[in-house]
Amino acid sequence: MSKLTTTGLTKAFSGLVAVNNVSFHMDEGEILGIIGPNGAGKTTFIHLVSGILLPTSGSITFKGNDITYAPAHVRSRMGIARTYQLIHPLENLKVIENVMVGAVFSKDKSLKEARKSAEAICAELELGRLERDTAQLSILEIKKMEIARALANEPEVLFLDEVMAGLNSDETKQLIATVQRIARERKLAVGVVEHVMGVIRELTHRVIVLEAGELIAEGTYETVSKNPRVIEAYLGGAA
Amino acid sequence: MKFKTSYLVAAVVAAIMIAFPTFLGAYPLNVARSVMTYMALAITWDMLLRSGQISFGIAGLFGLGSYASILAVLRGGMDPLLSIVFATVFSGAMAYALGFAILRLRAMYFSITTLALMEIFRIVIHNMHDFSGGPEGVVLPTVIFGGNASALYWLCLGGLFITIGASWFFEKSKMHLALTAIRNDETSARSNGVNIFKYLLITFVVTSAMQGMMGAIQVQSYGFTAPDTAFDANFTLLPLAIALLGGIHSTVGPMAGAVLLGVAAEWLKLKIPYGHLIVYGIIIILVILFMPQGIVGMIRRAGRAAGRAGKQTGANHE
Ligand SMILES: Nc1ncnc2c1ncn2[C@@H]1O[C@H](COP(=O)(O)OP(=O)(O)OP(=O)(O)O)[C@@H](O)[C@H]1O
Ligand SMILES: [Mg+2]
Repeated sequence: MSKLTTTGLTKAFSGLVAVNNVSFHMDEGEILGIIGPNGAGKTTFIHLVSGILLPTSGSITFKGNDITYAPAHVRSRMGIARTYQLIHPLENLKVIENVMVGAVFSKDKSLKEARKSAEAICAELELGRLERDTAQLSILEIKKMEIARALANEPEVLFLDEVMAGLNSDETKQLIATVQRIARERKLAVGVVEHVMGVIRELTHRVIVLEAGELIAEGTYETVSKNPRVIEAYLGGAA
Repeated sequence: MKFKTSYLVAAVVAAIMIAFPTFLGAYPLNVARSVMTYMALAITWDMLLRSGQISFGIAGLFGLGSYASILAVLRGGMDPLLSIVFATVFSGAMAYALGFAILRLRAMYFSITTLALMEIFRIVIHNMHDFSGGPEGVVLPTVIFGGNASALYWLCLGGLFITIGASWFFEKSKMHLALTAIRNDETSARSNGVNIFKYLLITFVVTSAMQGMMGAIQVQSYGFTAPDTAFDANFTLLPLAIALLGGIHSTVGPMAGAVLLGVAAEWLKLKIPYGHLIVYGIIIILVILFMPQGIVGMIRRAGRAAGRAGKQTGANHE
């Protein structure tokens, strides 16, 4: 059964339709690629399913419950977590506290329990020296911290919006392996937005393609990458 | 170990403060009460500030608590001590109701609305002649505890201890994570399960209740009040200055600021009776310009820098 589905999901920003009539589903344990040229509506789509934005029309269900208008904090408590394309560290909290936030507020853990699970998750991601301020972190470490914080919510569905952007190829390889392992061990459904097609090919089981807000193709990376409409969309975007 | 020593220091300071009346006369005790009142208000202001919300409504809740207490005694025949509890609950309840409207606002809109609310409270009290005594104010037949200077001091100290306790709890509990997350990044907070409105409402209710409590303690200690006394803008401005001077986003910052500014204020009042408010203003401006982290923030930074310097000489090869 699908964990997360959308039906006819649409978001218009005063005239501009950023997400247009998108119906999709995400199943347990699957890593889904969400691709499309710049401005295709990928980030807006994640904002809609995570509750950061409310849709103009259409609906969203999570494990059979209608969550179309549920507040973001309710969705994270239900099991939908995400990271941001533009990093969102909590700069007045230590690294460990940043990660604890997810555990404390989504899973109602005590500070002590939250610290323990945050430490375990950071160890899994090989993120160390957790008493540091976020200002002292490298870009890779910030991305790891934000993934760790999302995981501390103990989600069933996780969206990663361009977490690999800005990393070198070794770091990217390492993070791909980590995401695969985490998804497998937790039976997590992961939605991945990336512009680097190598990452999408390596990481995902299935891909959806957005162009100008519309879902134009769906399937494995191999089939989708041969789809003329997709090639056209990317070439059109590049021209 | 570190925790134990800080608890010990806190216990010793508390014991000395409790013992003050055994070796201080009525005048210094009076000054101490004024300092403690501003200290408590500064702490409550800072508690809400930790969520990023800047309130200009302290005097409003302080005045509301004053009037709730004095009118409960005068019109309702309530026991004075009980009236302080009543005023605390009343101010908290009022904040709860108002919170639903104003805690959706942010930044300047929130600040200005809190300021306007204070003015509304004052005008309402001002115009309810028969019940509130109008602009001339109201007088109690007797001051609480027969005006005994030591008892009044301990009453005020009790209010201060409650405030410090609440602030300390906010620093050590998940309130700290909630409020800091809200201040830093609301989007991130929401995505990690933080019910922003709930934590703002809790904080607004708790801090407003304590502001009302300090107003009630003050009014019972002086035995009279009037709109211009209860809603004096100083009750908004001085706590801000104190917290900014001492260092925001902590309990110790406002405490240090209150002692410094409180003592300076008494001294200035004697030296320049008409100009001391100007000096306050200058202090606020200088602090904001040159020490945005306040005294405590500067000390912390110096401590961290010293720590880093020590580490670097110790371990050069990283
Ligand atoms: N808050 C907003 N108000 C108005 N327009 C917006 C807003 N957010 C996004 N848009 C517009 O919606 C469209 C989709 O943007 P979105 O960020 O979802 O694209 P994206 O696929 O994530 O792009 P990228 O690959 O560059 O991250 C863009 O044209 C963008 O300018
Ligand atoms: Mg995007």
